[in-house]
Amino acid sequence: MNDSVNLKKTVLHAYHVSRNANMASFGGYSMPLWYETGAKAEHLAVITAAGLFDTSHMAVITISGEGAFDLLQHSFTRDLNSCVGSSQAPLSKGRCVYGLFLETDGTVIDDAIVTELGAGRYMVVVNSGMGPVVSDHLRKLATAGVSITDHSDMIGKIDLQGPRSALIIEQVLDRPDAVLDGLSYFTCRGDIFGERGSDVTLGGSIPVLLSRSGYTGEFGFELFTALADTENVWRLILEAGEPFGITVCGLASRDSLRTGAMLPLSHQDIGNWKFGQTPWSFVLPKNGRGATFTKQFVGADSLLGEPDSYTYGFAGYDPRKIPVTESSRVVDADGSEIGIILTCTTDMAIDRVGDDRQRIVSVATPAAEGRPGDFRPRGLCCGFIKTNTPCRIGDKIKLVEGRRTLNVEIREDIRPNRTARCSMQRMRSKSEERETRA
Amino acid sequence: MKELDELNLPGDLYYTKDHEWALKEGDTIKVGISDYAQDQLGDIVFVELPEIGTQFERGDEFGTLESVKAVSEIYMPISGEIVDVNSELEDAPELLNEDPYDAWIVEVRPEDEDQYDELLSSNDYLEILKG
Repeated sequence: MNDSVNLKKTVLHAYHVSRNANMASFGGYSMPLWYETGAKAEHLAVITAAGLFDTSHMAVITISGEGAFDLLQHSFTRDLNSCVGSSQAPLSKGRCVYGLFLETDGTVIDDAIVTELGAGRYMVVVNSGMGPVVSDHLRKLATAGVSITDHSDMIGKIDLQGPRSALIIEQVLDRPDAVLDGLSYFTCRGDIFGERGSDVTLGGSIPVLLSRSGYTGEFGFELFTALADTENVWRLILEAGEPFGITVCGLASRDSLRTGAMLPLSHQDIGNWKFGQTPWSFVLPKNGRGATFTKQFVGADSLLGEPDSYTYGFAGYDPRKIPVTESSRVVDADGSEIGIILTCTTDMAIDRVGDDRQRIVSVATPAAEGRPGDFRPRGLCCGFIKTNTPCRIGDKIKLVEGRRTLNVEIREDIRPNRTARCSMQRMRSKSEERETRA
Repeated sequence: MKELDELNLPGDLYYTKDHEWALKEGDTIKVGISDYAQDQLGDIVFVELPEIGTQFERGDEFGTLESVKAVSEIYMPISGEIVDVNSELEDAPELLNEDPYDAWIVEVRPEDEDQYDELLSSNDYLEILKG
């Protein structure tokens, strides 16, 4: 593939090329779409075993100093005083939270995961190419004494995702029990930014920041490393993962996995339009029934009151997709045009079952919960639409582009039986692992 | 991603610039997609086939391929009538990736046999791919 000379390369670029990856431009980087295994096998591997992704194109910003907390409270949609778990506890060291940075008019600059590294120290992970944009935005809002550092292209990031991720990472971690015990969903350990070095290392001495998070809907980790260590960490995990069926995965499977998991892609499913009613509206710090917010923040005033757009997940009835173009449209049962398509892809691990082909099951659905013995999914088209009128879950709508029309259903969720929130204990237990493999 | 010199472009087949292949077998012609096409598309997850008996002109869209990347049209290398379709592809679209020359898509009774001689040889097709 002839990459434009202007495209940036991640530190793992030579590996991707050596593995004959199909490379394409994404967010200003030359990134692998899939390897010789193919996107379907990569997608399935993350659901049934484990996949390894180079996500070093993601941008990392750190914020520290007195006023760092106040800056995030003012600029980030989540209320850091009440955002963790069902008890809405404050953010604390080693906890991560997902939210948005907005303009004052309520449009989305980018989404982010904010992690508290220590007292007054935060890591903010934003999208490819967004490091300078978000850090400039934050600098304009910051008070004196806040230090904002854009680490774009200075940090390596590797995602290990899938139900066997714990069994693999414990092979390479130094002191795995100490690191993994109690590492629940959206928590992290280790630190690659502090002066004292990381208390999490792998391969004998390589410092990493290990976060139990990801962008696939499946159990797994995001690992942050110094640039000089990234290739070593990648190789160590690949070697350790081989007996567990680890598969190197590209961005195509990352996209189909995240869509099936109902996760948005910034600048595609959320973006430079006013944030409306969406599956991700939990990022707003609603007070009680939602008439007010628990804090004041940039963009808050424009988001009170009725939304002017509605975003929904959908799933179709076979793998056929609609190309998302200027002319693709969403049409309701009466034939009225109601909106546009944001994302349309195929989750290749799911299909509809039963005589009426209504119920969606996944390759990970236990037989006891309805997966047929001879289940061979063909995949289902799925994605997100944005409408100008509210729809209900279960509504049947049509996606139209040119001569092609697809019937799809508005869904609250798409791929069932995801593992992202499964307990560490369960995922480290090999007997359980054998069951999920069966 | 295959390099051009890694592509399998059998010399006994004829090709189009839209990356279909054609092969005369008796008085009909089998049509499929080239190794280059399947490699570029990535995993093919769905194949939409035409009805048997449909008449198409050369260059008409006669079906679509759904890959993980995109929805792609497939075009008639020659004018003619669809006399058979490879319905195996409906349940196993991955056959197109595994062996695009064994996995023919449609069989056509040509309207004008001369059109077959106007198709590209494997060498001519490779030259077009080289750009």
